[in-house]
Amino acid sequence: MTRLIRTIVAFALTLACIAALPGTASATVYAQIEGTGSTWSELIVQQWIADVDANGMKVVYTGGGSTKGRKDFSQDSTDFAISEIPYQGTDEQGQADTSNGREFAYLPIVAGGTAFTYQLKVGNDLVRNLRLSGETLAKIFTNQITNWNDPAITEDNNGRKFPSMPIKPVVRSDGSGTTAQFTTWMDHEYPSIWRPYFGQSGLTSYYPKHGGQMISQAGSDQVMNTIKGFAGNGTIGYVEYSYPLNADFPVVKVLNKAGYFVEPTQYNTAVALTRAKINQDKNSQLYLTQILDDVYTNPDPRAYPISSYSYMIIPTGKDDPRMTTAKRQTLADFTYYSLCAGQTKAGPYGYSPLPLNLVQAGFSQIAKLKTADPDVDLTDRDVTSCNNPTFDGKNLSHNVLAEKAPQPASCDKVGAGPCGTATGTNQPSTDDPNASGGDGTGGGDGGGNAGAGSGAGGPGDAPAAIDPETGLAVGDTGTATSGDAVFANPTELAANRAVDQRTFGWLAVLELLALVLLPGFYVAALRRRVNGGRS
Amino acid sequence: MRRALALALLVIGLAVPAAAGARPVVGGGFEGSRGSGASAPSHLDRRTARAGAPSHLDRRTAKSGWSETKTLSRKFVQADGSTYSFPSHTVTVTADETTNLRGRQRILIRWKGAQPSGGRASNPYGENGLNQEYPVVVMQCRGVDDLSLPAKKQLRPETCWTASVVQRSQITRSEGEASWTHDLAAAPEDKGRITGLDPFPTAEECPAADISPYFTKLTPFATAKGETFVACDADHMPPEAAVDAAFPPAEIAAFTDTDGTGSVQFEVRTDVENESLGCSDKVACSIVVIPIVGLSCDQPSTPMTISDQACRKGGRFPAGSSNFANEGVDQAASPALWWAPSNWQNRFSIPITFGLPPDTCDLLDPRPPTGFYGSELLAQAALQWAPAYCLNKQRFKFQLNQMPDIAGWNLMENGGGVAAEVSSEHPRSGTDPIGYAPTAVTGFAIGYQIDKPDNAGEYTDLRLNGRLLAKLLTQSYLGSDLGRAHPGIGDNPLAIMSDPEFIKLNPGLSPNAQEAGATVLSLSNSSDVIEQLTDYIAHDQAAMAFIHGKKDPWGMVVNPKYKNIDVPRADWPMLDTYVPETQNTCRQDNPAVYFSQLAAPVSTMRDIADALLDSWPNVQTRCEKDLGTGLYKLGRIDRQSYGSRFMLGIVSLGDADRYGLRAAALEAKPGTYVEPDSRSLAAAVQLADQRKKYHPFALDQGDVRRSGAAYPGTMVVYTAARLQNLAKDDAAKVAQFIRISTTEGQKTGSGNGELPGGFLPITRTGPTAKLFDAAQETADAIEAQHTTGPAPTDGPDAGGSDGGSVAPPPGVPDEEEPSTEPVPSAAPSAPPTAVSMPATEPVGSELAGGLLPLLILLGAVGCVAATALRVAAPVVRRRG
Repeated sequence: MTRLIRTIVAFALTLACIAALPGTASATVYAQIEGTGSTWSELIVQQWIADVDANGMKVVYTGGGSTKGRKDFSQDSTDFAISEIPYQGTDEQGQADTSNGREFAYLPIVAGGTAFTYQLKVGNDLVRNLRLSGETLAKIFTNQITNWNDPAITEDNNGRKFPSMPIKPVVRSDGSGTTAQFTTWMDHEYPSIWRPYFGQSGLTSYYPKHGGQMISQAGSDQVMNTIKGFAGNGTIGYVEYSYPLNADFPVVKVLNKAGYFVEPTQYNTAVALTRAKINQDKNSQLYLTQILDDVYTNPDPRAYPISSYSYMIIPTGKDDPRMTTAKRQTLADFTYYSLCAGQTKAGPYGYSPLPLNLVQAGFSQIAKLKTADPDVDLTDRDVTSCNNPTFDGKNLSHNVLAEKAPQPASCDKVGAGPCGTATGTNQPSTDDPNASGGDGTGGGDGGGNAGAGSGAGGPGDAPAAIDPETGLAVGDTGTATSGDAVFANPTELAANRAVDQRTFGWLAVLELLALVLLPGFYVAALRRRVNGGRS
Repeated sequence: MRRALALALLVIGLAVPAAAGARPVVGGGFEGSRGSGASAPSHLDRRTARAGAPSHLDRRTAKSGWSETKTLSRKFVQADGSTYSFPSHTVTVTADETTNLRGRQRILIRWKGAQPSGGRASNPYGENGLNQEYPVVVMQCRGVDDLSLPAKKQLRPETCWTASVVQRSQITRSEGEASWTHDLAAAPEDKGRITGLDPFPTAEECPAADISPYFTKLTPFATAKGETFVACDADHMPPEAAVDAAFPPAEIAAFTDTDGTGSVQFEVRTDVENESLGCSDKVACSIVVIPIVGLSCDQPSTPMTISDQACRKGGRFPAGSSNFANEGVDQAASPALWWAPSNWQNRFSIPITFGLPPDTCDLLDPRPPTGFYGSELLAQAALQWAPAYCLNKQRFKFQLNQMPDIAGWNLMENGGGVAAEVSSEHPRSGTDPIGYAPTAVTGFAIGYQIDKPDNAGEYTDLRLNGRLLAKLLTQSYLGSDLGRAHPGIGDNPLAIMSDPEFIKLNPGLSPNAQEAGATVLSLSNSSDVIEQLTDYIAHDQAAMAFIHGKKDPWGMVVNPKYKNIDVPRADWPMLDTYVPETQNTCRQDNPAVYFSQLAAPVSTMRDIADALLDSWPNVQTRCEKDLGTGLYKLGRIDRQSYGSRFMLGIVSLGDADRYGLRAAALEAKPGTYVEPDSRSLAAAVQLADQRKKYHPFALDQGDVRRSGAAYPGTMVVYTAARLQNLAKDDAAKVAQFIRISTTEGQKTGSGNGELPGGFLPITRTGPTAKLFDAAQETADAIEAQHTTGPAPTDGPDAGGSDGGSVAPPPGVPDEEEPSTEPVPSAAPSAPPTAVSMPATEPVGSELAGGLLPLLILLGAVGCVAATALRVAAPVVRRRG
């Protein structure tokens, strides 16, 4: 009898084990989807594609620029496009920029700050803490400010003067969403500077290059190469923050409405985008596209003004020529991954996680795939199951972001500083000693990571680590480690003057000669005197 | 003060000129006695190396190969009813792998004895390949050629995939382009004006199809689900069909060389990649190879009609010629009519089977992923490894986030990531000790895509040495006449193909310079790959002499901007500043550093692999007026044409194997060139030493150059994590990852959790045993997270407790090998330690650095003053 019971129990346990196994080879059927578009967001999109491969999803993405992405989508050559700007109806050259009748929806996928990276040397030291106001930037890219010693730049840097050197702006030569984002901001914030230069109002994907100093390059990689290059001293260009981050190059701290100069770190961008509005007019061609007016003027001291996000353009027609149930399912699940777990790596890659308002907007767009095809399975794919680092899916009113994002350092304020900390390192510039360093993934990077502390501070926080021998905190704040790095002294006015080098060079040679020869002379003189004494 | 410091620095600079960049060079005695290490243990080499395959490394067996021979001939029925036969071709087609395939796998298909092709297209894929004569059409079709099977499971033209309409249907052709209506093998009903579908689509459905007197022949496409697309225009094609899509077509009209041979790497697709075609483990499919020998024609009318004549045309391009202008060709010899019965009957049908699709992870799995950050070298392995983690509840959810090694390292150090994947030792910025666990053995390759002149096929034996790579990296080739005015190097060759050194090493290639031949596509950001590549150059005497300004034997000199550049280094800078002066308005408007535009490095090796696959160099020198904006702009040059491709790029061995890229043999011992394969990787691992417990192994390129068997691009990817202050459960995850990836993760195969091609398995025995042992050791230490005790440190107090170096792990594995070399396995501990001295850590104290020269200066001033006093005082005194 006991044996029978044991057998039954064992059998039941076995069954339970089988039932408890994760649903392998689930019923979800995927088919490969293909897309082209933005290089601004390409770095992280390629990573997502590698990630979802484990889920059996095959996604092909080849970049090529936002303009190409929108065009390919309109010609039915692709299943999705990624673009920084919506279809313009008519582009700046009067050519059609529409979806050509293909039904679509805009879906936000990744946010980021348009960063201004530069190469500016004082002596032989690379300046890593340049600050500029929006107006100065607009004037630089419209050839109104053409020298690094311009008083406006000096003023932005609290009186710190840079050497006299021509400014060489680097712009994109291809149709680019980065250009569109930058010019949208200029057109909105500094129309009196931008419009006379452009000759019309509005944004453009093709930067109007005027004057001999400006350099144009195709693609973000090439812009970065030009600025990094040996011939790049004096250049400044605009790229997504991830490019200077990967290249270990500084970015400009841009003045925000609250009077702080801030860097486009993931948090500063995310904070700014909490003010992003979404076009809710269902009849508008631009339904659900971004209205960034309040982002540019967000009064939060942390907000990076030129923040924006990329859209995925997804086909929503019932009879879309390229769509099948399997492809729609792949599209839905790929975007679900991107909006949720995929956002945890936005920070480390130099992007910014999408805040709740945009993720919710994204889910409403994904739902359209199910409207078009009821066989698409969207069960449990919602904000509550979403592993997004900016909010807590279980408690949506809990603003995780506001807690995580550190306040700017006081030396970043207008009229103070400038701070000596370096930019382009993905470290926040802050006085907050608890601010995490590069720990962008904190909450999202594993339940384990968040939960179990190893005794000393958050496990992710290197600065809070305790030296096991002394028991003292190791290091200070995230900024302290870089605080004593070599930066050009704010009071240093001299450039790398050839005269200096020559003078000191000769001096050094003389000193060296003296070092070698004088003792000999001295001995010789001594001997002579001794001889003289004898004689 | 600043000036004083600058002065002090100058003095230091003058006094100790040789201090910088000196790296410890391992003494040669022991290595010399070790023999050349020429033969790696044989059990690593059981896999068959297949001749002609681009990468021998770890491709699965060639057992499932396929071969067939057929005799093909073109026949005309003459006006008198007699039959004229052209000389026949006995064609043999072989395929290297046909069973248990996976989606996007590349199959090598070769043939011999075929009619030589003419009018080579610059791109033979999809619709771009149509304007060629006598090509070999290779395509994927659903079904197999087996008459015993029900009709549904047999292949026919309607189940063969093409990405565009023009590849399958002939729409509204004039009579002169309706040669198929006289196909000898066609049934009478297929010779009409409008054919292919009965009933023929209505004018509403296909407005362009039926326009008298024009001819139309449709080849509809039947999907796996039974739907039929009539293929009369782009709107009546299956969803996956698109021209210029992000996913390029696989079907190809391949070129047969003048000797009758040819080959192609054909990418197969499953129902995931192509749902309409629908091939899977359940639905059998075939690769169809149709060597075009020209249409056979029926009895002509008298006099011959225009279409009779069209059928009998024999081609307007001579064999071996090119058709880069994409001119029209003789239809009867073109690939467009592959479906015509007299072509279709010449087909070779290679049956293929797909493996079970791998289990996939649940998207809604609530476990958040744990990111490891770093090396792209691991990318292909991580793709296969990830499912083995998320599918197992006992494991954590692993993700590899690819980024520059240093970026991943920094994230690991500051707590942003639990572990980093790197391939060399990195300086610590924090205080926690870091352990390195060997995780995979792979490396980089100089990938290439080079055609022999006169359409004689692809070049497969590229050899490069350190000096040639140094010439490429230092931007010492001129690129084009625009580079001629560059100061100091105006007499250098334009590109590597016109460099006598390269020609001597790789004879028989076209010496016509292309801009793409002036550069090797490389990485723009810091990478351990660049560090290893430049270390290889640093150990090449000729290369270093060149960098230091010595002319090569043919008079070429280094670009002065790169003269004496410090190597090795992890990032390769763009140092040139030369902007050519030209009369070209576009270039005047876009003054750019010409050599930087030639080099145009990119962010990821994946981009480089893509560029090589597309044979699309990233050279950014194209300057033209944009018609839309009216602005002059710079951009990327065109894709290279088949037949005149020449491109070099730095790729990972994993990508090279995955995409079938060719990898150059690099010079090891002078005159000995080594290709990446399991043998040469193993030989390199054998040379690598671990200096200290938990530290990475160092592969000394000096040893590589002595060995002659080791591949210089061999790299070990390490999982690096903190040995202290890592959260316990993160530490457990990292330890788990190390243990799993060094055991089940080293079984070669294409399944979940297995090791893909391009990697050398790490095993408990054999040359990789020391890596295995080191990995387990480090895994234990990471898991333990000892907060006190004998934690290893690599800080300034390096001389401490650990006793410097760890002897190679017990010699047992060595003895198991069929040891063909005199490795002193009996005494494994003693000799190696002698040579592997820890590198001297640069001691940094700004205070001391500034003070020391100041003190010397002070002394000197004192000296001068004293002398002056001594000499002058008596004079003064005397005067006084």
